[in-house]
Amino acid sequence: MSKMLEIENLKARIAGNEILTGLNLVVSTGEVHAIMGPNGSGKSTLAQVIAGHADYDVTEGSVKFDGNDLLELEPEERAREGIFLGFQYPVEIPGVNNAYLLKAAVNAKRKHVGMDEIDAFEFLKLAREKMALLDMDQSFLNRGVNEGFSGGEKKRNEILQMAMLEPKLAILDETDSGLDIDALKAVANGVNALRHADRAIVLVTHYQRLLDYIEPDFVHVLSKGQIVRSGDKSLALELEEKGYEWVREVANA
Amino acid sequence: MTTQVIDKSLLDAAVKAMPDDRLAGLRREAADRFVSLGFPGTDHEDWKYTNLSDIEALSVAWLKGNPNLQPVSSVTDITDEVRSAIDAHWLLVRDGVADDMLPDIDGIEIERLVDADCSALSADDALSAFNVALLQDGLRIRVEPDAAPDRPLAILNIDSARQRVVQSRLVVELAAGARLELIECALSNGSGSQFTNSVVDVDLENAACLTHTRVQDRHPDHSGIYRLQASLARDANIRHSSFDFGGALSRNDVVTDIKGTGAAVGLNGLYLAGGEQHIDNHTSIIHGVGPATSDEEYRGILTGRAQCVFNGKVIVAEGADGTNSRQSNHNLLLSDRAEIDTKPELEIYADDVKCAHGATVGQLDHAALFYLQSRGLDRDQAKQILTRAFAAGMLSSLSVPACEDFVSARLDRRLAELVDDVDD
Ligand SMILES: Nc1ncnc2c1ncn2[C@@H]1O[C@H](COP(=O)(O)OP(=O)(O)OP(=O)(O)O)[C@@H](O)[C@H]1O
Ligand SMILES: [Mg+2]
Repeated sequence: MSKMLEIENLKARIAGNEILTGLNLVVSTGEVHAIMGPNGSGKSTLAQVIAGHADYDVTEGSVKFDGNDLLELEPEERAREGIFLGFQYPVEIPGVNNAYLLKAAVNAKRKHVGMDEIDAFEFLKLAREKMALLDMDQSFLNRGVNEGFSGGEKKRNEILQMAMLEPKLAILDETDSGLDIDALKAVANGVNALRHADRAIVLVTHYQRLLDYIEPDFVHVLSKGQIVRSGDKSLALELEEKGYEWVREVANA
Repeated sequence: MTTQVIDKSLLDAAVKAMPDDRLAGLRREAADRFVSLGFPGTDHEDWKYTNLSDIEALSVAWLKGNPNLQPVSSVTDITDEVRSAIDAHWLLVRDGVADDMLPDIDGIEIERLVDADCSALSADDALSAFNVALLQDGLRIRVEPDAAPDRPLAILNIDSARQRVVQSRLVVELAAGARLELIECALSNGSGSQFTNSVVDVDLENAACLTHTRVQDRHPDHSGIYRLQASLARDANIRHSSFDFGGALSRNDVVTDIKGTGAAVGLNGLYLAGGEQHIDNHTSIIHGVGPATSDEEYRGILTGRAQCVFNGKVIVAEGADGTNSRQSNHNLLLSDRAEIDTKPELEIYADDVKCAHGATVGQLDHAALFYLQSRGLDRDQAKQILTRAFAAGMLSSLSVPACEDFVSARLDRRLAELVDDVDD
């Protein structure tokens, strides 16, 4: 096991508001981390900062990925290095074919590692395989990216992209929200299929439910831009029972 | 710089020097009319944003230089490339002069204008009068009642460079129940300042149906004014799709006049402008009677210092009840130095009318850009994909499948150039 993602004293702001206020987190290969925390505490902000969204200014601290400074990379470089962000709100892109994006994404990564472009047959075979795993109808390939997808379909589509790209580090921002029980199982299947000693997964979630299917090694509570408490999976159960008020009290004590 | 205007003696001399053919009488009449009208200036409401002084100066210089009116454009590789890209019956028009090799198609009569019995050619507005005054040739296409050719008919208008002014004319007549898919490609042969003034007259009799696609992909020094005027009888249908990819200054006037009930007008346009390009689309849909429908959508992509204009006029005459009209114009502004003036103009004199219109001007969606980047696509590629998606909306309106590949190839080529020119 080696350190993959190392975040130290990270402070980030958007539109002049400091959202991350000195956050520390280390994720090593083979691990699954769950990040929980109240609405507005900065979970998505953290995910977006790691993915490289330009609207956020990092004012202090550092983020390393495989020992290298992540913050100086463009979002696309981060993706090619193996970081995948499953968006809390996947973006609809009418007019851009889902298969086209998947293929372009796969090829961007292949090019980065010096491989040839994937051929059409191989691509289709791979896509079909991953879609079967996620119990997704193939017609989704020919639709506009997330265009008119239901909430749950969008989340499945995120997981499909993840499955195709096989990232080293997957950060899934509330991928479980809005899913029915079958979809939740399908998504969990996709995530569990990715679990590997060389990879790591960070799940941002509000619900213990997801963690029944994807068992985390660590659970963290984010509050007001910092991780205020970390523990094993039992922390999630405790949170479910006692609510965030309890964490705040403990943190303030 | 003193303004240069085309005066009577200059135009008369040029008209006199032209051959004494079947068009001679029409030319003289039109020359007189043009002299009394002159090129419209920017004080004219319809020409507020489009300044013709460079075009007029070029015309003056050309007329003074004792114009040689023979076609100088030779058949080149472009001609072959384009002709093989679209499966159609091809007609070639070089510098306004139609090629003698006219296809023989069942149910269609095609003649050169110099050979046709043309008793009149519309010359009401200044540019149409200028067109007829110096007209060398052109094409007249007539489709017989209920005839429908097996393949589209395509016209390649290719004009040579070298300080030249070209008049181009096309007359299209569809008899009752006739159908035609017509494609016009406007290209340049080589570079150099040039001006082409085109007029297309369309007459659709009862239940005739014309699908018309125009692709303009001229050289950056080549300016063009294009006017299409169509009249629609009962149940007639016109679907016009226009693609402006190239050119220096381009002005398109599309006027459709609904004269019979049940008629339908569909206008679609896509314009891509970068650098110092200027593209002006003026459309006018006249609902003279009702019920009838019109449906219009234009989209523009602008970069650099491009300037574009969209003016969509819809006139619903008194008593034209049951009119249903929709219009929209959407623009993607990829540079803050580019400029778009968009304006709907509705004049409604009837009561039972449904008219909807909307215009938008926007930038690329930042959330979508980031989303694509987060999947490993670089920023330029992401921009190009999103821009392409915006344009694709218009491509899907293309109702002539034969030219889909051609148009989309030209579109991609131009988009790749434009996206290089984008601000961040
Ligand atoms: N553009 C912005 N301007 C000002 N504040 C912003 C902006 N974007 C986000 N914020 C604020 O940042 C804070 C953190 O938001 P974030 O989306 O990271 O929360 P979260 O923990 O993911 O919440 P949730 O559980 O609801 O998804 C919120 O208070 C939000 O209002
Ligand atoms: Mg969030």
